[in-house]
Amino acid sequence: MIRESLIMRIHYITGISALFVVAVHITMRLLMPFDSSIEYQNIIANYHNIAYSILLESILVLIAIHGFNGLRIMLLELRQNRLWENGVTIFTISAMMTVVAYGTRTIILAQGLGA
Amino acid sequence: METSKESNSTVRNNREGLKGWLNPARYGWERVSYWFQRLTGLFLLIYFIGHVYETSSLTGGQAAWNALLALTQTVQGHIFLILVIGASTFHSVNGIRLIFTHGGMGLGKPGRPDYPYDALSLNYRQKSGIWISLILAALAMLYGADVLFGTK
Repeated sequence: MIRESLIMRIHYITGISALFVVAVHITMRLLMPFDSSIEYQNIIANYHNIAYSILLESILVLIAIHGFNGLRIMLLELRQNRLWENGVTIFTISAMMTVVAYGTRTIILAQGLGA
Repeated sequence: METSKESNSTVRNNREGLKGWLNPARYGWERVSYWFQRLTGLFLLIYFIGHVYETSSLTGGQAAWNALLALTQTVQGHIFLILVIGASTFHSVNGIRLIFTHGGMGLGKPGRPDYPYDALSLNYRQKSGIWISLILAALAMLYGADVLFGTK
């Protein structure tokens, strides 16, 4: 079992790290007029850039860990018993892995698309 | 045995569940901050899942992407994005305040409890941190509105 103090430290580290990578992600949308930056060709060009794809993957993993652990903390504040706590932990870890897998699939497939 | 039953019943009566979690009325700004931190966190998690799903339409080709953009590039879509900007700014700045507080920073020195027994930890540093979070969220929303509805 991982100690809650370690989980809280992971929560803070993922939160602070997400702040930096999301700032870069938003800056990429503001380098040109917003409407142009979300055109299909621009988005595909972003995905073809390996460094940017790694950044997107890190955003996906960091926010999924931070977000679903936050949800877990909120749900554990509402009720405390072994069944509920184990159920909440299993549910949040499964949901986190599903979102990460689905987002990773998009990043991989988009790299193969032509602009 | 009787005492144990009584204490169990008192504990049960004190359980307010979701109502207790949502009620900011009996508490100060710290409770409002607690509530906003959770509310914005939930909202941002829902947005994040939606955003991951939304971007997956890329794999369907240009037509699928443009069809999705037509849904989100509306006035309502932009207002929703402005709310996301405000929520993420508040959640980030208030989250940093909470990390400092969890580390013992900004809590003040322990002192003798005197009437009216105000908690020393709930001081002006904490309150100003909450206000700074709210003000920065408002400013970020204004900038976001300028980008989405303006000419930038």
